[in-house]
Amino acid sequence: MKKLGRTGQGYLLNTIIIVLLFTAAQLVTAAFGGEGSFKLVLVPSIWQCCYLMILAASLNLVLGFLGQLSLGHCGFMAVGAYTAALLSLACERAELFKDKEGVVFILVLFACVLAAGILSALIGLLVGIPALRLKGDYLAIITLGFGMIIINIINNLPFCGQDGLALGSAAASLYKNGLGFGTKSKVEFLWAALLVTIISITLMFMFVRSKYGRAIRAIRDDEIAAAASGINTSYYKVLTFAYSAFFAGVAGALYSCTNATLSTSSFAFTNGGILNSTFIVVMVVLGGMGSITGSVAAAVIMFFINYQIKNGSWVDALPAAVQAVFQYPMLVYAIVLIVVIMFRPRGIFGSYEFSLINLKRDLKAALERRAAARSERKEARSNG
Amino acid sequence: MKKYLSILLALCMVLSLAACGGSSDTQESAAEDGAEESSDPIIIGTISPNTGGLAAYGIGVTTGVELAVEEINAAGGILGREVQVITTDDQGDPTECLNAFNSLVAQGVGLIIGSATSGCTSAITDAANEEEICLLSPTATADSLTTEDDYIFRACYADSFQGAIAAAYAKKSGCEKVGVVYCAADVYSKGLYDSFSAACEKYGVEVAAAESTASMDVQDFTNQFAAMVSAGVDLVYAPFYYDVIGPYVVPQARAAGYEGIIMGADGYDGVPDYVVEGADLSAFNDIYWTNHYYPGDTSEKVQSFVTAYEEKFGSTPSAFSATGYDCVYMYKAAIEAAGSAEPSAVRDALADTSAVYDCVTGSFSLDSTGTPIKGAAIISFADGGDKVVTELVEVMQASDLE
Amino acid sequence: MSTFIQTLIVGIRLGSVYALVALGYTMVYGIIRLINFAHGDFIMVGGYTMIFTVPVALALGLPAWAAVAAAAVVCALVGMGTELIAYRPVRKKGSNMTALITAIAMSLFLENLAQAIPAIGPNPKVASQIFAPGGIEIGTVTLEYTTIFTIIISAVVMLLLYWFTQRTRMGRAMRCVAEDKAAATLMGINVNNTILLTFAIGSGLAAVAALMYMAQYPRIYTTMGSLLGLKAFVSAVLGGIGIIPGAVLGGVVIGLVESFTTSYISSSMADTFVFLILIIVLVLKPAGIMGKNVGEKV
Repeated sequence: MKKLGRTGQGYLLNTIIIVLLFTAAQLVTAAFGGEGSFKLVLVPSIWQCCYLMILAASLNLVLGFLGQLSLGHCGFMAVGAYTAALLSLACERAELFKDKEGVVFILVLFACVLAAGILSALIGLLVGIPALRLKGDYLAIITLGFGMIIINIINNLPFCGQDGLALGSAAASLYKNGLGFGTKSKVEFLWAALLVTIISITLMFMFVRSKYGRAIRAIRDDEIAAAASGINTSYYKVLTFAYSAFFAGVAGALYSCTNATLSTSSFAFTNGGILNSTFIVVMVVLGGMGSITGSVAAAVIMFFINYQIKNGSWVDALPAAVQAVFQYPMLVYAIVLIVVIMFRPRGIFGSYEFSLINLKRDLKAALERRAAARSERKEARSNG
Repeated sequence: MKKYLSILLALCMVLSLAACGGSSDTQESAAEDGAEESSDPIIIGTISPNTGGLAAYGIGVTTGVELAVEEINAAGGILGREVQVITTDDQGDPTECLNAFNSLVAQGVGLIIGSATSGCTSAITDAANEEEICLLSPTATADSLTTEDDYIFRACYADSFQGAIAAAYAKKSGCEKVGVVYCAADVYSKGLYDSFSAACEKYGVEVAAAESTASMDVQDFTNQFAAMVSAGVDLVYAPFYYDVIGPYVVPQARAAGYEGIIMGADGYDGVPDYVVEGADLSAFNDIYWTNHYYPGDTSEKVQSFVTAYEEKFGSTPSAFSATGYDCVYMYKAAIEAAGSAEPSAVRDALADTSAVYDCVTGSFSLDSTGTPIKGAAIISFADGGDKVVTELVEVMQASDLE
Repeated sequence: MSTFIQTLIVGIRLGSVYALVALGYTMVYGIIRLINFAHGDFIMVGGYTMIFTVPVALALGLPAWAAVAAAAVVCALVGMGTELIAYRPVRKKGSNMTALITAIAMSLFLENLAQAIPAIGPNPKVASQIFAPGGIEIGTVTLEYTTIFTIIISAVVMLLLYWFTQRTRMGRAMRCVAEDKAAATLMGINVNNTILLTFAIGSGLAAVAALMYMAQYPRIYTTMGSLLGLKAFVSAVLGGIGIIPGAVLGGVVIGLVESFTTSYISSSMADTFVFLILIIVLVLKPAGIMGKNVGEKV
């Protein structure tokens, strides 16, 4: 047998661990059988984490790797969510499947996810075109505008009414949703959410590490130099926007599975919750622009903190003054955000990517860096 | 290539979440098993938008619930058991609403009041039926929420009734051409528009113009009302909330030259507190609206509620507070009728269409879907010299809709 | 015809408010190249301050608009506080992007802090009548004096700001800082103080904008700054951000587009058309209507 290279070893190790974790997740699912807190708290949380992770990572492609600020990312998610919801509803009405059971339903589910991604990517192409002429704050405002337009149009679509595909009736909420999983089906289809998430993040990761990824990082660092060295900047910019929008659409499809109903306010520029275009930017920046690991971690941490502040029972054990502050979760996030940015302006992870096989090396390097920094400070102090 | 491992991290985070998330629900069985113990408190959960853009509604509901629970506990509780409330916040977002619902259920709560908006409530109705948890919404009015044989009830009437009452009143007062100004992006406003225009068609009243706004928060309604003027309508149905009616809609409608009747729904409750000081009050003549109850009602029930609320919170209660307050008393009546606080028993008691609830918002029983059958008070505004005064015009019953 | 005039007047009324808010945006952006997302919330701060100071002013026998003085002071303090506590430390360490995130965080912070303060709370509040009602009759339509006032104030503020930045020492210092911070320091300009002053003026202007907003749209709520700020920001970008007359032009254009869309195209799609116009203008003229395209230094 040929000796595996370092890369090959890495692949093998990762595959084994993923398979192990996946089996473990399946076993846990089977063991609990959907009772109590596992079904009510954990599984819905995982579903929500899944789409938040995909969404944050997909925004990182544009924000962190291409270096363009996009303030309307949830607009793509909305396109995906409504596409998946309406498509599944149409299939249900056509009696392709019943009660979310059978092979046909699984096919429909994945078809919906794919369709959501593709439609979002097409819209992403549209947004990518102004990005050729604009950059920085001007581009930010354009993406924001696109986000608002998408929401405004969905609000006025005649077939997004209270019963979905209703005749001539429009409202902000799409009430019935062919994909909307109840608590039981969320447990049953947990594997689907995890699978979609793993595939999506792997694809994004591969994109970033491919020649495309190197090209867009070159554009981020110096567009003129990149163009001078033969990189087709227009092509790569539009491609990245579309690629990123594709995964935002996939996240949207997962969102419509998680929620029985859709409402455009969930995809707005700002709203009371943590799912909106602003907060996704916040997640990416907190995690580290240019680190998919960071986005994934930040999405999970933000979700976890938000969930615990509002629903965790340990909050009751805190002093009254802290509880009073926790009544206003957004106030807490704003303060945490400012503090984190003051002390770690490049985000928690910077541009670091987690890797099991390199963990030892990375840790050692980090320790060495820290030691170096300390001795430098000491030296500076003794000199000063 | 070897570093596509963020996936791993993802999974690790998810699993660590498992460890942390699990810890929050250890006491669930305690509450559930104890439900039959006569000394244990009855726990009612509330879900409402307490922070964010819709915070005013959420605060209205929670203060109403708080007042009712305090009164009940002072009077010895329900079936001799103390009532406790667990308040959760959905931030006006459907996903958060479902999270809040799940965490309440995981804590063993079987009776829930919530949520304040139709959008959020629709996100938890399926889950409530699946988990067999009683859900009593104070103010979610969308028609599709309650169905027969389910766990969903409400303390307010549905959009279709309220819109139809307004149309019936328009017909009765001799209007032939009416117009609608509404918001297509809002479930409440759109739902009322749909039912109003459907009822108008039934009564042979022509809807000559319908104009929408981009959101519920727009500042300028002048163009919409100018379109009403040019369509020559004599009544405009404008389902918005009090905080835009007082400062924006009414003055701007009159400034745009619209002199006819403006008709509204329960969102108009509270308008007199939202009138610009020093503005021309004659603009508020000829405004009629439908409501769950008449706040100026001299009946003892309403007056004692309004006084107690003002004493405790220092402000006049909104319709949100009144229905939130009623929800607690509806649960009280149902629990007493069932003799138990078990969700399924309470559900059966609530599903009993012969039970009559004597509440602040009227004395009513629930229909087979779980929506109150009660009359709608038609209330008018008028220029009262230094303030806008309200006056009860009449109470229309469902039988008036024929 | 009367519909046309009515629509025009509504457009000017909306536009005048957007223009006044956009001036503050553009002022700060012009100096430190930061989209100050919290600017809309400074308007909210000014609005709530006036809810409390207008009765005081009336009790003292002053006209209601005199309350703006106190609001301007409060807003300027809040603006300078924001700069000192949040923006300055971040600017020292981070990039443009982190500064922007800080601005978003400050906006969230102010909005939610206001909700948490018991005297303010989440319920919207309604202001008093600030100017006497009445206006000029054009056919069947009334152009209110308040609207005319707002336009005059916008024009005066615009001219003052223009004069200030072009003709005074401080203004020159501001323009130097905008051009090149390092070089400005070498020329003996105290960069930090100049930026602080910019924030003081920009936020003080927010109080004036809040006054005129309240006079026409007398409803104050904690999240009012978000959509208003957004529209004003769009106006500033449309006119060419950092360019003072551009902000006023952009504001009026956005107001007119919004109003005419409502009347003539679709009343619920106004937002779509506002942003569509923005996108079209920016794609055709990337630096905004009045902006000059500057070639990039290699």
